[in-house]
Amino acid sequence: MGVEFEPRIVAFMCNWCTYAGADNAGIARMESPANVLPIRVMCSGRVSPEMVLRAFRAGADGVLVMGCHIGDCHYSSGNHRTIKRVPLLRNLLGYAGINPDRLRLAWVSAAEAPRFVKVTKEFTETVRELGPLSQEVAHQEVRE
Amino acid sequence: MIEELVLSLVEGIRKVVAERLEELDGVVALRRSSEGVAPHVFRKGDDLSELEIAPRYPLMTVVSKLHKTFPDIRLGIVARGCDERAFIEMAKRDQIDPDRLFIIGFACTEEEAQECHCSAPAPQNLLVGTAPPPGPPNPVVEKYDEMTIDERRAFWQRQFVKCLKCYGCRNICPECFCEACAMEDAAWVEPGLLAPPFPVFHLIRAMHMASRCVACRQCELVCPAHIPLTVLYDLMRRDMETLLGYVPGTDMDAPPPLSVTLEEAPLRVAVEA
Repeated sequence: MGVEFEPRIVAFMCNWCTYAGADNAGIARMESPANVLPIRVMCSGRVSPEMVLRAFRAGADGVLVMGCHIGDCHYSSGNHRTIKRVPLLRNLLGYAGINPDRLRLAWVSAAEAPRFVKVTKEFTETVRELGPLSQEVAHQEVRE
Repeated sequence: MIEELVLSLVEGIRKVVAERLEELDGVVALRRSSEGVAPHVFRKGDDLSELEIAPRYPLMTVVSKLHKTFPDIRLGIVARGCDERAFIEMAKRDQIDPDRLFIIGFACTEEEAQECHCSAPAPQNLLVGTAPPPGPPNPVVEKYDEMTIDERRAFWQRQFVKCLKCYGCRNICPECFCEACAMEDAAWVEPGLLAPPFPVFHLIRAMHMASRCVACRQCELVCPAHIPLTVLYDLMRRDMETLLGYVPGTDMDAPPPLSVTLEEAPLRVAVEA
């Protein structure tokens, strides 16, 4: 023992708001957790349940879905899908025995660099508390 | 007594089908032959004594294929409550043309409603039989909220490990119509694993069914590993109703809520973001 658990977090960020917000946080030299692996998507509405579940399968301990605030979507209503989909997927994770707090939806605009930092820090700590997902999901063996 | 009831039900259906065949190009139903029971398009003049209603088999995917292949064909279908609900969801997703399908609805028996935990065991367009009282809710679903997250995980791991990846649940589903299935896409479900990988395989399906599952329970009935899939799907149906006020298969005019804007299908519960 002795090596502290560092959560691995996949963050899907929309191209127009959150990715720009994250970029601005970097330009302003704000510190945000290195645990977060950003994946840029054109819209948070593009983030399908497959993508989130595959991230967990691939070893993510937590998944963030981030995009424009409602009303600010570059495609008018792309994030309307997201705000309906993510709560359902959170519930489904809970039903299947994965803590729903491992998935979070957060709106972060391009002008909200401090909020980007706050959300990623908070979420990293939440997932750190929860521990590695592998504790919850034993990776299944290949049956001969 | 039950046999008599079913017999008179089938007789009633055959009579309505005969009447409807005067104006329709065909009626989709089950037919008994020397080789067993299978879907069939009955035409005018066919021997309707071969028409059966058991075993249950979803026919809406058959109708969908016929409608797409023959753009002018006008069909009837012998349908239970769940068949009609499947029709409604398929129609609003442009998989069936509602103007070219006539529902010959019949009621399930009380025993069937009990067995299926069915909340609506008769179609809206009920032409034959009397609607039985709804069945009781699934007892596992009723008590599910009391289970801890560890108990839930243990429950599903015991179930999913039995999965043979036969895709029977998807193949029988009256609502599965995608030409390319995410459950067969190596990008999401890595191939070659038995049991199929968790959480991707089963949870992808559960999410895709969330706004579509009409609780026909066919997936559970065909599952060779006896995985109680409808527990998961019932929970998702419950959440769809709580979150978006949507009950699949009840209202032709209600848009599929996950595919439309908040103005068209608003949230009923505040979501933190």
